[in-house]
Amino acid sequence: MRNSMVRLEGATKVFSTPEGESLKALDGIDIDVGRNEFITLLGPSGCGKTTLLQAVSGFVELDSGRVIIDGQEMNDRPPYRRPVNTVFQNYALFPHMSVGENVGYSLEVARVSKAERTERVASALRMVGLEGMENRRPRQLSGGQQQRVALARALIARPKLLLLDEPLSALDKNLRETMQLELKTLQHELGISFVFVTHDQQEALTMSDRIAVLSNGRIQQVDTPRAIYDHPANTFVASFIGASNLFEGQANGDVVTTAEGTTIRHASEGAKNSRVTALIRPEHFFLDATEGCPAVDVVVEQIVFVGSSFELFGRTEQGRRLSAHVPAARRATIGALQQGQKSRWYYDPSAVHLIQGEVA
Amino acid sequence: MRIAAALFRGSLYAYTALFFAFIYIPLVLIVVYSFNANPINMMTWSGFTTEWYAQVLGFKTTISENALYIESTDQLVAAVLNSLKIATATTIIATVFGTAIALALHRFNFVGQGFYRVVMFMPMLMPDIVLGIALLIFFVNAGISLGITTIIIGQCTFLISYVFIVVSARLAGMDRTLENASADLGANEWTTFRRVVLPQLMPGILGGALLAFIISMDDLVITYFIAGIDVTTLPMFIFSMLRRGIKPEINAIAVMMLTFSFVIASIGLYLRSRQK
Repeated sequence: MRNSMVRLEGATKVFSTPEGESLKALDGIDIDVGRNEFITLLGPSGCGKTTLLQAVSGFVELDSGRVIIDGQEMNDRPPYRRPVNTVFQNYALFPHMSVGENVGYSLEVARVSKAERTERVASALRMVGLEGMENRRPRQLSGGQQQRVALARALIARPKLLLLDEPLSALDKNLRETMQLELKTLQHELGISFVFVTHDQQEALTMSDRIAVLSNGRIQQVDTPRAIYDHPANTFVASFIGASNLFEGQANGDVVTTAEGTTIRHASEGAKNSRVTALIRPEHFFLDATEGCPAVDVVVEQIVFVGSSFELFGRTEQGRRLSAHVPAARRATIGALQQGQKSRWYYDPSAVHLIQGEVA
Repeated sequence: MRIAAALFRGSLYAYTALFFAFIYIPLVLIVVYSFNANPINMMTWSGFTTEWYAQVLGFKTTISENALYIESTDQLVAAVLNSLKIATATTIIATVFGTAIALALHRFNFVGQGFYRVVMFMPMLMPDIVLGIALLIFFVNAGISLGITTIIIGQCTFLISYVFIVVSARLAGMDRTLENASADLGANEWTTFRRVVLPQLMPGILGGALLAFIISMDDLVITYFIAGIDVTTLPMFIFSMLRRGIKPEINAIAVMMLTFSFVIASIGLYLRSRQK
């Protein structure tokens, strides 16, 4: 593939636990990362996302399968001979070196002349907004600044591929959101590929060109953030990304009937007479009656105000838990609704997404 | 209630004061006695003098009758030089081996790792006298003549353990991802070791080395068994003096050793605080 920056073919890695069991961290992973692409590996802890990243950087040796970076097979190359750089989760800055020495480390190792090194360190620090901080020690910097040093250090050798292992998880919320946008901008400006690991679905949705959702060492779905959100391939993806109301049942024409008798109307084609799970995102429920829209009857259990919206939690008569998000601008539709009261939650059948099969 | 609390606090202060007094007063007394002019009874102060130091260091040629116990300053100097020679050699050997073993056990996974770890701890737990006898029997049966070489070999058997433990502790607190970061930035194993692992390990290595040096300078029991008849170390020399009664010169020697240890320990602490 011409435009592939990294390709993994049938990547498999089995770890043995201290208890003598074996754990499949990677179970036949095939993935392709394009040039210039920002791809996020998303999944719960233990899903294999970090192992996958380390298979690319070389810290994990695959049991089988191939790692190809920029057209060259990398399986037998040690980490220090791979054309990738990593931003580590806890930054991994060398505490005994100054900021300048940290950033210039890869150039020093590559025997770049002192004059060029000084200049490139200065420009790398300028790029991350830490101009003139060469002589500080890492521990004198704040978490966000350390993060930037780690970024400058990983980018100074101008890799074509940058790997980021949960780099923002240690930052507070505001800083994290700022850094998300900065990273995205930086990736765009540099024109290199980013492989970003996170367990935070919001982060993945915000930053990525494509998201690969992992679970149990397998890729569940690879697609754009919108496609993943709107058309999850399976119930794992549906429930891991965003909040979901799932109705598993029997599809019959344009109706899905659950075991306890709740019916959901949908507008998708080609799901006749099969076991399916219907997905309605909480924001697709609304409380004001609309001509031609079906509804679910719910007893409201809780109403939570989160600023931009109201989150309603309730149960159907049959006991199924559901949630709905009502934008704060439409608070009038909630009216005097209170906990314990009955309510009708309307939805548009075209907003219902059908997933083949049932909740795992 | 407030009185009870005040009493409790007061007794804590008193306990703390007593604790430190118990540890340090004997050392302070030795320093004081070493300047006491009374040659017969050290407990009775009869004026300040530096005579004992002068005698120990050989500045006083006319040896007074009461100070006959140092037969010659040459013996003392020879003992100090022996101790320094042995301590330097054992420190270098024990530091190199102890660090290498700690690195190997930390770095690699292999069969029998736990066993080797215990084996490394054992010499520290072994009674000195048993180790001394065992070494003596070994050297005699192996036909190695006793002397400085046997002392060095013998001391290394347990000093390696001390260095190993100090360096291992430092390694356990070290962040493995730093090594990964170094490799990720293009450094091979050797460069990573030189530029990342070693600088971080240095306080541990220096600490282990200083500990080995001080223990070697101090060791009497094991050294006594394997020294043979020609070699005398400083602790052996002092011990032989003691057998003929506690004399003021011993206090002077003790104070000088104390000062020496204190300086070494201070250097160690200083290096440690600078590396942090």
